Amino acid sequence: MSETLLEAHGLTVRYPEGEVALKDVTFSVETPSFMAIIGPNGSGKSTLLKTALGLLRPISGSIRLLGHDSTRESAAIRRLVRYVPQRDRIELTVPIKVKDIVLMGRLLKKRPPRIASRTDKRIAHEALQRVNMDEFWDHPFNELSGGQRQRVLVARALAAEGPVLMLDEPLAGTDAESQRLIVQVLGEYHTENDVNIIMVTHDLNPIHSYVDNVLLLRRTVIGLGKPCDVMDPALLTQVYGHSARVVEYAGHRYCVTRDTGVDRHHD
Amino acid sequence: MIEGLLSLLSSPIVSRAIIGALLIAVVASTSGTLLVFRGLSFMTSGVAHAALGGAALGLYLQYTGIAPWFDPILGALLFSTLVAMITGYAGETGISQKMEVAVGVSFALSMSIAVFLMYYIPPTQVPQIWGYLIGDILLLDNLDLVLLGGTAVLLVLLFIVFHKEFIYVSVDMEGSIAHGLSARAYHYLMLITSSLAIALATKAVGAILVYAIMVAPAAASNEVVRSVRGVVVSVFIIAVLSELAGLAASFTVNASPSAIAGIIAAMSYVVAMHIKKVREHANSDLDELELAVPGHEYGHGGEMGERDSSGGDESTRVVSEEPV
Repeated sequence: MSETLLEAHGLTVRYPEGEVALKDVTFSVETPSFMAIIGPNGSGKSTLLKTALGLLRPISGSIRLLGHDSTRESAAIRRLVRYVPQRDRIELTVPIKVKDIVLMGRLLKKRPPRIASRTDKRIAHEALQRVNMDEFWDHPFNELSGGQRQRVLVARALAAEGPVLMLDEPLAGTDAESQRLIVQVLGEYHTENDVNIIMVTHDLNPIHSYVDNVLLLRRTVIGLGKPCDVMDPALLTQVYGHSARVVEYAGHRYCVTRDTGVDRHHD
Repeated sequence: MIEGLLSLLSSPIVSRAIIGALLIAVVASTSGTLLVFRGLSFMTSGVAHAALGGAALGLYLQYTGIAPWFDPILGALLFSTLVAMITGYAGETGISQKMEVAVGVSFALSMSIAVFLMYYIPPTQVPQIWGYLIGDILLLDNLDLVLLGGTAVLLVLLFIVFHKEFIYVSVDMEGSIAHGLSARAYHYLMLITSSLAIALATKAVGAILVYAIMVAPAAASNEVVRSVRGVVVSVFIIAVLSELAGLAASFTVNASPSAIAGIIAAMSYVVAMHIKKVREHANSDLDELELAVPGHEYGHGGEMGERDSSGGDESTRVVSEEPV
């Protein structure tokens, strides 16, 4: 039976600096879903994800994940979620190994002393194999390239448990090969397992064929639907401004924008 | 000569100093390592000076009769905890730069309070306040050793039980909270226990030795050692060797053991930076060699030379496609 994956009602959130990040956001997405939240820099995509996790508190309205309210039931939400933050939120001062990063996803759901069992290690190995990083098992995480680090963080989410994967800009700043691999692995994982995926991204292009729902965001909801439904020039202009162009090439229609980079609204 | 060495080692002053050196090395390999991982090496000097402000408050309360029971060491521990709380509050989101600023502000505040209160304390008692910074490993008494020993045991126990949590909080605070960890509790636990340890260690052996041994070996090890366990062991070894060399030098050339240990520990950081630079140079030469080989392909799973492009110049980007 289908239930609601993510639903918001009149959600308004401020950045810690005081500026309004999201205003009167209302939408609902059913399970199972591979959902993409897209929009330009500063459109409130990451803020929406963090509010759903209870990391930020709305000033009005509410957001619920699998029926749990983000402010009152954040503990329940965090038991259900496997989260991949923006890569630049990971501190590289600690010489932690790749295996420890991946096992972190599983051990964080256990109680201290959080000992990794044989099963934990097997699942961590399998997750790293999926993203072609298993040979780096004993390698220091901070010596990897950007794309490799992102693949390891995705492996951490794959190795963890919980019915919802939430990824904040997992494709930003990665090479084309890592992007292709991450998208393919997430798409396959979504279809093979009973797992929902919510991904914040600037770039719908790489995930277009895997995504069930797209939320177009520019501080409020501009559009919600199947990838083909939101490919409307009028909607895209509202999100990306007049620089957005829809172009046709080799039988496909592409939306070209002048937006790039990662959201950098640090709290 | 051997007999002379044995009699020297059996003297209570020297044996207390050696035990003190080992205990300080334990504090450095646990708290010092964690603070450097957290990007908070400046916190050691901030806390030590905050303890000074607390000691001044204690003496003031005793002298004025407002609270005769308020020992200066209580003030030192209280102020150290306050620094940890302020620093922790600034860094709740996991950004270490904000914590460094908070340490700097707390440092200035504590020193201002100390100087302000010194005006109201008899001049004869003022040296007692500065005494909180000027200890000597050769002047350790049994109470100092008991306090240091207790601190070291507590730190080791906390490190054994919660080292994963402390590391997780240092690496990925946001992700740790999102996965259900009480990250803020571990964040504060790490900062408060480190602060108390720094304050007690400073009282026992003096600020110079604590600054040098808490920061330099951990910073040096973190430059060149490639695992958390390796860093902890390396910090302990560098700290012990520096301190023992300092003690040995103090008997042979009549120098301050803390100063010699500080110089050696600081040199370990310089050497580590040099080793890292040489290693990076060798790796970049290897990369160039690999790139020069025609038909060379990067190994399975990795493009080690790839650089981040996030946050780069504005460029045209394809957002989405739709079959026509």
